Amino acid sequence: MWRGLWTLVARAARGPLRPCTRQGSSAPAPGSGSTIFALSSGQGRCGIAVIRTSGPASGQALRSLTAPRDLPPARKACLRLLRDPLSAEPLDRALVLWFPGPQSFTGEDCAEFHVHGGPAVVSGVLQALGSVPGLRPAEAGEFTRRAFAHGKLSLTEVEGLADLIHAETEAQRRQALRQLDGELGHLCQGWAETLTRALAHVEAYIDFGEDDNLEEGVLDQANSEVRELEVALGAHLRDARRGQRLRSGAHVVVAGPPNAGKSSLVNLLSRKPVSIVSPEPGTTRDVLETPVDLAGFPALLSDTAGLREGVGPVEQEGVRRAQKRLEQADLILAVLDASDLTSSSSHDFLHTVVIPTVTGSASASSQRLLLVLNKSDLLPSQGPDLHPDLPRYLLLSCLTGEGLDGLLEALRKELAALCGDPSTGPPLLTRARHQHHLQGCLDALGHYKPAKDLALAAEALRVARGHLARLTGRGGTEEILDIIFRDFCVGK
Amino acid sequence: MFSLRGCGRWVAASLIKQHLPSARFSGDGAAPWTPHFDVVVIGGGHAGTEAAAAAARCGSRTLLLTHRVDTIGQMSCNPSFGGIGKGHLMREVDALDGLCSRICDQSGVHYKVLNRRKGPAVWGLRAQIDRKLYKQNMQKEILNTPLLTVQEGAVEDLILAEPEPERAGKYRVRGVVLVDGSTVYADSVVLTTGTFLRGVVVIGLETHPAGRLGDQPSVGLAQTLEKLGFVVGRLKTGTPPRIAKESINFSILNKQTPDDPSTPFSFINETVWIKPEDQLPCHLTHTNPRVDEIILENLHLNCHVKETTRGPRYCPSIESKVLRFPNRLHQVWLEPEGMDSDVIYPQGLSVTLPAELQEKMITCIRGLEKAKMIQPGYGVQYDYLDPRQITPSLETHLVQRLFFAGQINGTTGYEEAAAQGVIAGINASLRVRCEPPFVVSRTEGYIGVLIDDLTTQGTSEPYRMFTSRAEFRLSLRPDNADSRLTFRGYKEAGCVSQQRYERASWMKSSLEEGISVLKSIEFSSSKWKSLIPEASISIAKSAPLRALDVLKYEEIDMQLLAKAVPEALKKYSKCRELAERLKIEATYEAVLLHQQEEMKEVQRDEALRLPEDLDYLTLRDVSLSCEVREKLHFSRPQTIGAASRIPGVTPAAIVNLLRYVKTTQQRQAATTRSPQTDQHLCDTDKLERQL
Repeated sequence: MWRGLWTLVARAARGPLRPCTRQGSSAPAPGSGSTIFALSSGQGRCGIAVIRTSGPASGQALRSLTAPRDLPPARKACLRLLRDPLSAEPLDRALVLWFPGPQSFTGEDCAEFHVHGGPAVVSGVLQALGSVPGLRPAEAGEFTRRAFAHGKLSLTEVEGLADLIHAETEAQRRQALRQLDGELGHLCQGWAETLTRALAHVEAYIDFGEDDNLEEGVLDQANSEVRELEVALGAHLRDARRGQRLRSGAHVVVAGPPNAGKSSLVNLLSRKPVSIVSPEPGTTRDVLETPVDLAGFPALLSDTAGLREGVGPVEQEGVRRAQKRLEQADLILAVLDASDLTSSSSHDFLHTVVIPTVTGSASASSQRLLLVLNKSDLLPSQGPDLHPDLPRYLLLSCLTGEGLDGLLEALRKELAALCGDPSTGPPLLTRARHQHHLQGCLDALGHYKPAKDLALAAEALRVARGHLARLTGRGGTEEILDIIFRDFCVGK
Repeated sequence: MFSLRGCGRWVAASLIKQHLPSARFSGDGAAPWTPHFDVVVIGGGHAGTEAAAAAARCGSRTLLLTHRVDTIGQMSCNPSFGGIGKGHLMREVDALDGLCSRICDQSGVHYKVLNRRKGPAVWGLRAQIDRKLYKQNMQKEILNTPLLTVQEGAVEDLILAEPEPERAGKYRVRGVVLVDGSTVYADSVVLTTGTFLRGVVVIGLETHPAGRLGDQPSVGLAQTLEKLGFVVGRLKTGTPPRIAKESINFSILNKQTPDDPSTPFSFINETVWIKPEDQLPCHLTHTNPRVDEIILENLHLNCHVKETTRGPRYCPSIESKVLRFPNRLHQVWLEPEGMDSDVIYPQGLSVTLPAELQEKMITCIRGLEKAKMIQPGYGVQYDYLDPRQITPSLETHLVQRLFFAGQINGTTGYEEAAAQGVIAGINASLRVRCEPPFVVSRTEGYIGVLIDDLTTQGTSEPYRMFTSRAEFRLSLRPDNADSRLTFRGYKEAGCVSQQRYERASWMKSSLEEGISVLKSIEFSSSKWKSLIPEASISIAKSAPLRALDVLKYEEIDMQLLAKAVPEALKKYSKCRELAERLKIEATYEAVLLHQQEEMKEVQRDEALRLPEDLDYLTLRDVSLSCEVREKLHFSRPQTIGAASRIPGVTPAAIVNLLRYVKTTQQRQAATTRSPQTDQHLCDTDKLERQL
């Protein structure tokens, strides 16, 4: 009985950007039959990373990676050489554990791989697991849900689950936003559009072809589009190792009104002059990003243009980019000039960015924010004269370095919370997910044979589109109908 | 119980009395007798007839109230039934022993299966229907249905009472008040008023209140519903002009001939009533730039097109076709309206221009140069009730025991109406018997897709069925509607006749047996190749092939297989339907295996029921956003599955909801076993009535 719910939540959770929750026939069945895997230890600097699988194919997965050895005894740590099952390339010498169900974390058969924590190793093992038949990357909160489904968690423990799913969905949403911005995102988006259009045209041909006069060659066009897509996907997958440049770490975005000292803060934190600083407002116009080590955690630090209106087109573009980057941030470092809190730009920033994020009303996002009041050296010695509804803040002087220790400690806490959760910055897992679904899409396209049963051909496209929808977050039926009625004059 | 024959006479007799106004119900004057029925159905259209007949088949004493008995079964728009998606619905209505498929098998004049070359999952059974015959046959069927009484009368108001406790709803319906002031009591009421709720007919700039050309609209009832708090919307639709047959020059037009042999709609019919060679052809012509000109020049005379009432995204009228897709030739099918009818229905020419301009437009079309218009095309604007206000059993959230079916829920089409009618009729009857509702899931049928879409998403345009709406399209095929619905209909609702049940059972066991035999026969590919030389089997494959795998090849059918392996397979090739269905099962076997897992998941989520009386707005101890609360409050999903399909309800909200429900269930389980006692009481009640 209970099992169904979790697959349902998984289904709803997997498309956080999708406006319509109704699922077209699409993604492969993620049900009780499937086996999931994920990196279950946190990011950040760690000697050992733990990768977990759950589901009936766990034993198979363990055997595939540790061949030719047999399964280790249940619940006993064993040292094994992990190899990629396809290339037989050695990946790592790792501790592996085998937990046959129901005596496991989720109640299903589980396996754990304790590998050396370098990104190359983790990524290699995740990709190797993705190539084992029946395995797929886990959805947000799926391990916990499975544990609950098998009675491994009590109802009170599940109370936290909704929050977890919410947070993970949010994290995935931000992750998706970042990716959609990038090269790969544009590719995926384009593929999804092509596929949706091709499917819509095949559907139109099925539902209206006989009764209404569709233009000649509707199907031919869809066919050639599908074939082109197949070629593009195939080429991309062969090239996948070089094609993706996903950076690891939490995304920390420094934002604030112009001339608050954002660039100075970035330079201070990265200990090198990343951004040009000047006393002139509007110096930074583009988003500058630099990978840094913040309080021991890997992070991607972004400097943004000061948020203000009514300036030249170049700076406006900078402001637009800054706002976009803000949406994608895991942690916002909001910087205000402590000596200039009453100015209209400070006031605007407080009320449009800081307070909505702190009170959590901004689109229910789970973003974190640290408010930094810079230029404390300019304040009179008895402390700033601040208005009362200011949220919790930190005082800092980028000039003298006063308050930096306090800021680093606060950053450490925030990043520990962020990075301790494996879902926040999962570029490695994301890569495995991408590859898994792109391969699934390609396989499904291989079943598209319009010369035979057209309903079967359309089904192949539906499954293919379902895979892409998991990456781009769309895929409802209404979208198909919209295209049909836009492109064709049909109906009685 | 009545015998079937006796019952028919009784019904017919009671009908005759209806024509003497108030003769029946005024009684002997001293003690006016107020009639009481189990189920009252209002409206005699495609939803109403199916609802009334279904309720009666389920064993309820049913009254069908209609404006005029002679309009029962009227096809007020196109003279055809079925098509792609719509044909699927008809097969499902038939699987539940509904009427329209059987009546179509007796009344068609041109039978054709659409999409023959596109795969059996999307075959569209379709027929041109003789309007007069359909009406006659439908009326005969309705007037001879045991337990079903027909009465003429317009309903003005509903009789309401306090709601039953422990159930959602502000009121409970107890019956109806007619225009003449008389009342009829009922335990359930089904409303199928079509376009009659504040219906307005539009031709050019003229508007007339009417549900259909020549019929009065229902205004009082619309006001009652609005006063009760139902959310009402407005939709529009249209119908083309009718043309005199003898005024058309068919000789210069493309002719479409019917299928030979004809495929019947109903599972219980082997053939249709008429031979292919006696059937009528259809003809095809096209619009031209002159038609565009007339429409574009006269838009100012066309208020139906201008107004903001929502029409569909697809193009129902020639005006919207010309406006949205200019400079194209649009198809016009000239469809016969009947065997001895001299009227032609120009499909695709739905128009609301002033009548004289319609005639002018028609005569510039090829083949229609001398055409005479018999009746102008017109538009209809009407009220519909937001279908998120009803449950999947089609009962309203607001008024207990009140059911809505058909166009009133925002759908368009005879088949969509009929499908809702059957479900409403069955559930109205089950409600009287205190039995659980009969709900078809999205995984079980197009009926389920239709009702789930309506009740969870609502609709802002007339909703029409397309096969692309069904995510499990390969499983929900016209050929297997009986195996999906007939058994449930027989066991859970009692709406299926013994004869149909037995036929479906025979077919089911034959199919299962046939498939297992086909799986058990295995030869090498070279042996298959030598047995069936015409097969395109590659002999390079080393693994043995099952007969079922061989049947997947397009050029192979059961007859060919039976010739190759006669001793095992001959018996399965004799029955045409069985042989065809085995072939279809083989075609989709691999994909269906995949789809079944996905369907199971949907079914599991639908098995998780939400309490009916949950007040989402005030519910405490559950963290739900205001937006989600309002959405849940309005649609009142009955299962976790339905809740998850409501746009805007987040995964986290679903988990929270479930935790709440699970906790409540545990608490309830600890207390009494009162629901079971209720059930028991009902059963006793039923027993007494039978005695």
